[in-house]
Amino acid sequence: MGRYILRRSLQAIPLLFLMTIAMFVLIHLLPGGPDQVLFNPHQTEAAKAHLRASLGLDDPAPIQYVKWVTSALTGNFGYSFETNEPVWTVIGRAFPNTLQLFGAALILALVVAILLGVISGVRQGTATDYTLTVLAYAGIAMPVFLLGLLVDDVFGVALKWFPTSGTESVAVTFTNPFSALLDHLWYLVLPMTVLAIAFIAGWSRYMRSSMIEVVKQDYMRTARAKGVGPVAVLFRHALRNALIPLITIVALDFGAVAGGAAITEGVFSWHGMGLLFLDSLDRRDYPVLIAMLMIGAVFVIVFNLLADILYGVMDPRIRYS
Amino acid sequence: MDISEQLNLNSTTEEEVEPYLEITTALVQKRRSQGRIIFDRFVRNRVAIVGASFIILLFLFCFAGPIVWRIDPNQNNVLDVSATLAPPALAHPFGTDDVGRDTMARFMSGGRVSLLVGLTSMLMALMFGIGIGSIAGYYGGIIDNILMRFTDVILSIPLYLLLFVLSASFTDGTPKSVILLIAVFGWTYAARLVRGEFLALKEREFILASRTIGARNFRLMFRHILPNAAGPIIVNATLLIGTNIILESVLSYFNFGIKPPDASWGSMISVGQSLFALDYWLVLFPALGIFLTVLSLNLVGDGLRDALDPYMTER
Repeated sequence: MGRYILRRSLQAIPLLFLMTIAMFVLIHLLPGGPDQVLFNPHQTEAAKAHLRASLGLDDPAPIQYVKWVTSALTGNFGYSFETNEPVWTVIGRAFPNTLQLFGAALILALVVAILLGVISGVRQGTATDYTLTVLAYAGIAMPVFLLGLLVDDVFGVALKWFPTSGTESVAVTFTNPFSALLDHLWYLVLPMTVLAIAFIAGWSRYMRSSMIEVVKQDYMRTARAKGVGPVAVLFRHALRNALIPLITIVALDFGAVAGGAAITEGVFSWHGMGLLFLDSLDRRDYPVLIAMLMIGAVFVIVFNLLADILYGVMDPRIRYS
Repeated sequence: MDISEQLNLNSTTEEEVEPYLEITTALVQKRRSQGRIIFDRFVRNRVAIVGASFIILLFLFCFAGPIVWRIDPNQNNVLDVSATLAPPALAHPFGTDDVGRDTMARFMSGGRVSLLVGLTSMLMALMFGIGIGSIAGYYGGIIDNILMRFTDVILSIPLYLLLFVLSASFTDGTPKSVILLIAVFGWTYAARLVRGEFLALKEREFILASRTIGARNFRLMFRHILPNAAGPIIVNATLLIGTNIILESVLSYFNFGIKPPDASWGSMISVGQSLFALDYWLVLFPALGIFLTVLSLNLVGDGLRDALDPYMTER
């Protein structure tokens, strides 16, 4: 397994390199270009030309690419057209927010989805199963935007249980770092719940379907015959084999973390990667865009590799030769 | 009757012993074919039949509905204030929108677009996904590696970015190009799911057994392994329809697909969202359309999965 991980990690390097070319081409094909953000109406033509030249925007695209790659290899991804800050500073502001949002939603969604999936798989065809099925598809058909507004209206505006938007209390300084963290978590509850509901609806369906397959297999009967308790048989023996589809899906959904969750982030003004991406796309902020795309690609590769490793852990018969 | 009772009826021994009975009582009688057995089992699953009827009703409502309901879905009525944003009533069972168009007529014409785009792009994405996933999972090694790294690349390109780029060069998308675009980007989940199942299933004893009696790769892949991977594929298929219907409205925002004033369920939802707080019917009905489509297709899919499941006859 160690050699397999090493080989896949080495393969990732040329793959990422190829992707920089593809992403660079895509970004430069965006209609419009960054002029509107770069210039203000009072600048003279000479000043505009000077600015373009200093940013290297007048060079032919291949030259621009080579310049970008050589600087990126030293860790310098350039400066945002919008704020003139280093790209990492801009992304460093948004990424922790998105990671917290996704991380919290992931944990909540995994626990609930596995539980609901196992219940409805084991009780296939009962009233409980059909209730959970209807609820799951209601969650899938419900537009995220609407769900967000609804949750915000009920728990934020009407009941005032949780703050309606933002990431932390403004104009309050906490002396105790623990209460600052608590305040932050307080703001996290609603957006996390909305994001988790979307995950739970889909994930519980995969869990249910593979549970139905697994509980019928012979080794389950053997385990029960040997006297393993009903809960242990489900969660220790059945779950392990039923998890493969869920691992695939969770890795795919979480691999998209660098893209953020634009709609949920928008409803709750949670300044994360989703909003930053739309914003940078709007302003044609080339350096920020390409850095975000590359982080996204790294996450996709890492999480799919993790899924492949976990397959082998869950089912040791799976081998990669 | 309680739903659980109905289902228990299905799993009694009556249907399982039937084929043997046929052979013993009348030896001349033909044995039912595999397809026939699956079909018979499916038809006996009442929940699946309810799902199938719902789908047929939805199609009839959207495609044949306009024969009875003759209001033009694009006919606006801005001058008459009482006719705009009217709540559901006898004259307009689904209410009217902000320019006085009949929401039920728009539900029908929008449903025609959404059902067709959702279903066909789901089928195409599934075909790509199953093809790529089963080859990668079955053969493994370098073939798996190449196909899955290609999947990683597709997964890394945000659809939004691509749409921006494409909308600059193609401003006039037909429904066909929308279906193709959704299918080209929708297969990745199915491919990784199918591959994961294949990786696990190909190591099982029954595959070794069939290989020993001389089954070839193609037969092993599609007759023996694929039916065992039906569970996650069916879940993915039903979820894909929901996503595709919504995605279609995102595409139309980028000038692909249908354009205003024509409707689709997805675009009705995205347009109605701003008015949702006071005029709920603008969003409720198209969302209900998507909900019923996804739910009933899932019931059909579950019935199909049960009918394909050999364990159903052995218990």
